[in-house]
Amino acid sequence: MLFVDKHRPKTLDSLTYHHDLSNRLKALANGDFPHLLVYGPSGAGKKTRIIATLKELYGPGVEKIKIDSRVFTTTSNRKLEFNIVASIYHLEITPSDVGNYDRVVIQDLLKEVAQTQQVDLAAKQRFKVVVINEADHLSRDAQAALRRTMEKYSPNLRLILLANSTANIIAPIRSRTLLVRVAAPTTEEIVEVLKGVGKIERLEVKDGLCKRIAVESGRNLRRALLMFEAVYAQNEVVKDNTPLPPPDWEALISQIADEIMAEHSPARILQVRAKLYDLLTHCIPPTVILKTLTFKLIPKIDDTIKADVIKWSAFYEHRLHLGNKPIFHLEAFVAKFLRLLESYLMDMDYDF
Amino acid sequence: MPADIRSFFAPKGGAAPAPKKPAPPPAKPVKRGRKVVESDDEEEEVKPAPAKKPIPKQAPKTKQEEPIEDASAYFASSGKNKITRTSPVRTAPPVKKNITMKKLHLNDDDAKYLDDDDDEYGDDIFKSEYGKVAEDEPVKKKKKNDDMDMDDYKDDEDDEDEDMDDFIDDEEEDFKPKARGKPAKASAVKVTPKKTTAAAAAPKGRKRKSITPEDDDEEEDEQPKPKKKATAAAKRKTPVKRKEVEEVEESESIKEILSSVPTVRPPTPPPRDDTKKFNYHAYKQKAAPPPPTGTKDIPTGAENCLAGLTFVFTGNQQSISREDAIELVKRYGGKVTGGPSRKTSYVVVGSEAGPKKLETIRELKLKTIDEDGLFALISKLPAHGGDSTAAQAAVKKAKEEEKKIQEIAKEMKPNTTVAPGKEAKDANSQLWTVKYSPSTMKEICGNKGQVDKLQKWLQNWPKNLKKNFKMPGPDGSGLYRAVMIHGPPGVGKTTAAHLVAKLEGYDVLESNASDTRSKKLLDTSLKGVLDNKSLMGYFNTGDKKVEAAKQKIVLIMDEVDGMSGGDRGGVGQMAAICRKTQIPVICICNDRRLPKMKPFDHVTYDLQFRRPTATEIRTRMMTICYREGLKLTPQAIDSLTEGSHSDIRQIINMLSTFGVSGKEMSFDESKNMASAWQKHVVLKPWDIAQQLLQGHMFAPTSKKTLNDKIELYFNDHEFSYLMIQDNYLKPNPQRANNCQGAERRLKLLELADKAAESISDGDLVDAMIHGPQQHWSMMPVHAVFSTVAPSSFMSGSYGGGHMQFSAWFGQNSKQQKLNRYVKEIQSHMRLRCSADRHEVRQFYVPMFWQMLCRQLEREGKDAVDGMIELMDDYFLTKEDYDAIIELGVGPLNEETLKVPSAAKAAFTKAYNAASHPMPFMKASNVIAPKGKAAKKEQPDFEEAIEEDEDELEMVEDAEDAVEEEDADLSKDKYVKQAKAKGKGKAPAKGKGKAKKAADDDNDEDGDEDFGKGKGKAPAKSRGRPKK
Repeated sequence: MLFVDKHRPKTLDSLTYHHDLSNRLKALANGDFPHLLVYGPSGAGKKTRIIATLKELYGPGVEKIKIDSRVFTTTSNRKLEFNIVASIYHLEITPSDVGNYDRVVIQDLLKEVAQTQQVDLAAKQRFKVVVINEADHLSRDAQAALRRTMEKYSPNLRLILLANSTANIIAPIRSRTLLVRVAAPTTEEIVEVLKGVGKIERLEVKDGLCKRIAVESGRNLRRALLMFEAVYAQNEVVKDNTPLPPPDWEALISQIADEIMAEHSPARILQVRAKLYDLLTHCIPPTVILKTLTFKLIPKIDDTIKADVIKWSAFYEHRLHLGNKPIFHLEAFVAKFLRLLESYLMDMDYDF
Repeated sequence: MPADIRSFFAPKGGAAPAPKKPAPPPAKPVKRGRKVVESDDEEEEVKPAPAKKPIPKQAPKTKQEEPIEDASAYFASSGKNKITRTSPVRTAPPVKKNITMKKLHLNDDDAKYLDDDDDEYGDDIFKSEYGKVAEDEPVKKKKKNDDMDMDDYKDDEDDEDEDMDDFIDDEEEDFKPKARGKPAKASAVKVTPKKTTAAAAAPKGRKRKSITPEDDDEEEDEQPKPKKKATAAAKRKTPVKRKEVEEVEESESIKEILSSVPTVRPPTPPPRDDTKKFNYHAYKQKAAPPPPTGTKDIPTGAENCLAGLTFVFTGNQQSISREDAIELVKRYGGKVTGGPSRKTSYVVVGSEAGPKKLETIRELKLKTIDEDGLFALISKLPAHGGDSTAAQAAVKKAKEEEKKIQEIAKEMKPNTTVAPGKEAKDANSQLWTVKYSPSTMKEICGNKGQVDKLQKWLQNWPKNLKKNFKMPGPDGSGLYRAVMIHGPPGVGKTTAAHLVAKLEGYDVLESNASDTRSKKLLDTSLKGVLDNKSLMGYFNTGDKKVEAAKQKIVLIMDEVDGMSGGDRGGVGQMAAICRKTQIPVICICNDRRLPKMKPFDHVTYDLQFRRPTATEIRTRMMTICYREGLKLTPQAIDSLTEGSHSDIRQIINMLSTFGVSGKEMSFDESKNMASAWQKHVVLKPWDIAQQLLQGHMFAPTSKKTLNDKIELYFNDHEFSYLMIQDNYLKPNPQRANNCQGAERRLKLLELADKAAESISDGDLVDAMIHGPQQHWSMMPVHAVFSTVAPSSFMSGSYGGGHMQFSAWFGQNSKQQKLNRYVKEIQSHMRLRCSADRHEVRQFYVPMFWQMLCRQLEREGKDAVDGMIELMDDYFLTKEDYDAIIELGVGPLNEETLKVPSAAKAAFTKAYNAASHPMPFMKASNVIAPKGKAAKKEQPDFEEAIEEDEDELEMVEDAEDAVEEEDADLSKDKYVKQAKAKGKGKAPAKGKGKAKKAADDDNDEDGDEDFGKGKGKAPAKSRGRPKK
């Protein structure tokens, strides 16, 4: 198993950072447990904390999880297959798996769960917990369906919503939950974790390397651990300056950035489009593409136009959310960037 | 003297639209030099001399060009050699010096030119020139006088030319970049004297060539040719096809008019084309911007004034679009052909003229004019072309035609009354299409060859039947029992089939789309007919005559491609019938290439009917008009033909409609009628994109309204915008044509950016349309943002080959497939890792890719054990492994992976040899073909089941899954039953458990508990919907 999963802390006590948060969660678990909305960037340890909290709530039984496949029927008689990760005490669902039909899942499943009592009479808590992953990708309808359920069935059911940001979650839900922010670990904290793992695995840990990994990972602990393992898996001898291979898609985006800088022409936009399509088809989310691309481009350009580039990047990032076809907006950003850059360079020419 | 000269030039100068233009006198004389030979004496008097010539040559460049007519422009640009070349023509002894000086390298050209034009002159250039002069002299004494004057003048002229050269040199340096590759522009500009700035560019194009380094000498020599042609043509004074009509002297008035039409020097074809293949796209790319559209008054001319003249258009005109220009010429009785040929009277040259055409022009020495010339022709020529030779020839021809038509009409008379309407009905009650349907082979309009083939096939049918269709015969038709006639509507397919059947003495059994023709009905209704003889013949065995005539039946299956919907299996059955029929079968359809017509491949003898040509139709229609007492000009008929896409039936219908109300139809009326009757054709996505991006849809001369453009989008609103999106970056936008170098680069990006932004806007609108609100009323907005606006920015000549089909669909379905893989992988990994599917894709998949795929590639067999262990840790299956390979992108692309096949085989073998943990069973996967499906239902409740790879049928297609779930549910109900029966499964399960028991001891309890809890749940979920 990979380090990242092998060395995942199992209890709130064994978590290495955000101790305040851990203590608070512990207190909640032993007292009156509310609905939670846990948010924070990926790789910050949201899920790990939740699992640990659940363990605190129910004991080791929650660690015995299984996957259950259920079929739901939509109003238009379409059959949806839906995977549920469950222990006897809790359910974990990802409604965004079924796209626009998430409302059906939320309605049917939650009601079903909420209407039955806890089966295990020996259980510590009388309620069951439903963990909803990617809550910020829930459609408006699904969120609306949630809000009443949360109140009505609260004796039998607690919800833990997981999200990257609260921006997409409607206010009624935010007001019904306790908002818990799990911040990304600092680089120092990541270095500590890496060192700890290295020690357990009996690896020769290099401070400089850990630091670089921590920075490179963008304070994403999951990513940092995977990078850490990749470096040790791919190199016999690991030094402070051992190169860190970026993931495939990031490498491709850097390549795109180089291409954009090298030639400014409509033909180049066409070539870039092919690569963007490649990224999109290989399931890289368009916002990630746009963001990564922007930050790959920024160091290559003059300060004067950086602000504009960021502005347009944000503009098209917003459109990615509003529109249907991401490629249109990504391409529009590339075109806009080229135009900005070219007109900036032309101005320079005139100045001479 | 100056006065003389001016008057001498008058015809030309006067003809030029703007008499005011300040003409550099030196330039003029040169032209005159040539003209002397050409022009008639009268011209001097007729045309008032342009008053403003005397502006000095050295004036600013712009002025310099303005006045230039062909010759002068020619001089201005091409420098001295040309002067010398032309000067000999002037017949002035003093000029001889020049000639001899320059002669050497001019020899070829001149000789050639003279050869072509005047055979009598012989090869020797000196001789020919003087000979020519000698001949001309007696005829044109007065001219000679002028020449003498000019000779004096000449010296000055030469000097000035030199000056001009210098001047032009300077100028060129400034403008060089622009001048390159813009010869077309030069010519266009020259003629419009008002466009001074544009004119400035003119000489450059030409000049460039003369200035080119010494080694270009050959080129230089060649280039002058076209100019000469032009002038030569003008010189000869016979405006139309000098060679052909040489003997015929034009009447003076016509001559005068024709010579007064300003000619232009055709732009030199780009020099490259001799040496290497001409790159049209490159040329287009460099081509000059379309000159600004001036609004010029289009003159109204006398009726039919262009009779007998043939025009060819090339390049973009300044103030009139190509379509309008063609219409204009047709309106006045002229003929427009696509490419220049010997019969072409005038080539109307615009900017961006096709290099190929220019070359032909040069070869054939055609007369070139520009749109002003065309307008001048129209406004000056008398009705019916006056008494010019061409017009007279045309008139003669028209008369002959008319005579012929009358003859045919007379001939037709008896036919029509007897033939088509067999029941001697009142002719008036019949449709014209019936009334005038052909009754003899001779009357069939177009497709004669195909009809002959059809007739031969039918003639030989009985013979071939005896040979059992084994002998192909001379035309290969002997192998077929059936014929398939296909072609566009209204070209006479059905008519031909009926006619041939009648002529061959067959009884016709017809079936068309109005009959139901399903497989069953075809079977029952046709089976009987196919191997029977006509009843009449059968019963009248005693009477031989009746039998011979009546036993022959031909089956005509009309509108075979109309078999659809209700006619289930009809096409296949029809094909089967065609294979074994005992009577001839003629099938008729419109589109043979439709996939549903596939069953007829190799079964039928295919005859394609094409649209008849305009001439073929014209005669026939004129005949009908004559018979019905309608008066239509041939041009009107042609425009109807064009408007209906050569659909004869439609034309006849239009005529008969028109016949009710009027007797005479003008060109404009016919035009209107044709457009009113125009069939609405739904364009294909390619055509839509092509029209928008490539066509002249957005050219300044385009008359298309915004609505017309939006309408294009609605031809296929699901594809059009995607096609635009895929192709909008490929044209060379017209809007950037005015820019050069860096400026152009920026302009291109600016346009691309605007277009891309507009497309992005369009997507937002699209989201509103297809979103929960369904604002379908916003489709026109979507049309503008997504399709029209981007095209308006980017439309231009299309350099990137043909339109590509939108990549979006392919990419989208690929994305969905890979998305499914990622979901699958993530759902398998879920027990081990907490990441959502994006995180899995972004961080785990590259990791796995390195640790599984790359590892196998690098270490071969040794890696297998570690790989399988890792995969089992994460519950990854072999399918997941393949999916991971496919998910790699960029540096981890699938193609970069070269796993030795030995390693691959070892991995597969090792993987299949062991059993692997499964996190869960997908409901849809449970339906295995082996009948064990029911047994596998149970594992849903297990935490993990061990299953051998091959027992699992991973159904990847989601739709399949959805379909199968039906069955799945029903099975759910019998879960218990299956359990009871399925003893065989228990051991398997037991085994799985046994293996697992070691690690998952304590899980067991949990499982049990859960099982109970779950037991309730499904029951409930099933019950709920009923409430």
